[in-house]
Amino acid sequence: MSEVREIIRVFIVENFLFGNEDGLGDETSFLDEGIIDSTGILELVNFCEEEFSITVEDDELVPENLDSINNVVAYLQRKAA
Amino acid sequence: MAYDLEINICRRCILPETIPGINFDDKGVCSHCRRGKSADANVTEKKAIYRDRLDELIRSTKDKAPVYDAIMAYSGGKDSSYTLKLLKERYDIRLLALTLDNHFVSPVAWENIRKVTDNLEVDRLCFTPPWPIMKKVFSLTAKEDIFSKATLLRASAICTACIGLVKSLVLKTALEMSIPMVAFGWSPGQAPIQSAIMKTNPSLIRQNQSALKRAFPSDINGRMDRYFIPDFYYETLKGRFPHNIHPLAFFDYDEEQMRQQLNNLDWQSPTDTDTNSSNCLLNAFANHCHIQRHGYHPYAWEIANMVRQGVMDRDEGIEKIYTKQDRKMVDYAKERLGL
Repeated sequence: MSEVREIIRVFIVENFLFGNEDGLGDETSFLDEGIIDSTGILELVNFCEEEFSITVEDDELVPENLDSINNVVAYLQRKAA
Repeated sequence: MAYDLEINICRRCILPETIPGINFDDKGVCSHCRRGKSADANVTEKKAIYRDRLDELIRSTKDKAPVYDAIMAYSGGKDSSYTLKLLKERYDIRLLALTLDNHFVSPVAWENIRKVTDNLEVDRLCFTPPWPIMKKVFSLTAKEDIFSKATLLRASAICTACIGLVKSLVLKTALEMSIPMVAFGWSPGQAPIQSAIMKTNPSLIRQNQSALKRAFPSDINGRMDRYFIPDFYYETLKGRFPHNIHPLAFFDYDEEQMRQQLNNLDWQSPTDTDTNSSNCLLNAFANHCHIQRHGYHPYAWEIANMVRQGVMDRDEGIEKIYTKQDRKMVDYAKERLGL
């Protein structure tokens, strides 16, 4: 899962932080910190679906699954189980 | 047309070198085009799947809600007018069109709103916040970037504030009137196809709304509170959270054909708006402020996506993005805002 964590981190840093990862911890809330907005969350969903060949269901679109690196990694772990 | 092409732009799309974090390979192709190649695969197949999904969603919701099947965020511009027409003519659903009067709607767009809704026999609502509030919001966002860098990559601060209000108002109205679908006229470049049919989630919306509210200083925030979703709605109306749909992501998108079809409803292209808007007299100034502060056009991201997807010619994209903002349009908005 450390590889998954790195893939998510690189996606966030490249697409939303323009290469500057200062202040982005594994627990940092994307929405609260203004790193990702509502459209950005959908782009993250899009990325996860393409990269990890999963389908994100409507009822899985919750902050608990998508609002930090840790949350995304844990969600992907659950999907893979 | 006067283009400002003194900067390097991607040889495949139209993104300029001034986009934060962008880089180019030795063929002059940008990092976003290189990354986007695999995502663009199977797009025709995906579009067909989404059309089927919308057919199914409408089959399962049509005529079941008390009054309306869908509420449309309706600006009177080309994209939302075409979406309204598509939904009415293809599905014959009960539609309510809601327009936010931001005090900068072009007179031609008002006429278009009236003609299109009358010709389609669609009910319309106009919501007008008082001018002092809108003036304060637009004056602030003209001068300051109160939103995150990632948000501003996709739209100007002025547009982001205005669209934030629109999204909130249509959702609030949908919840209050038990309307199961909220429709937007997003172009195929504005949001990914995967988000084109999506059930809204109360906790995600709540977090989004509080992030949006926090972006505004407290004096403005207090005056705008009534336009956002009240906290108790998330619990008491949680069973009413609607599906968001933006059909133009998966139906054919050809601007010329869309205009021709809209002409049948007496819709006319305004001549008093900039190249990227067909309804708003503030947009040229919003673009101007963004270009001054960030060094790139706020529509560059959207238009680049459309060029990449093949729904817009690269030359047309270049014209939209690199035509200088009309000085008269910029000055008009600036003066009205007292800046």
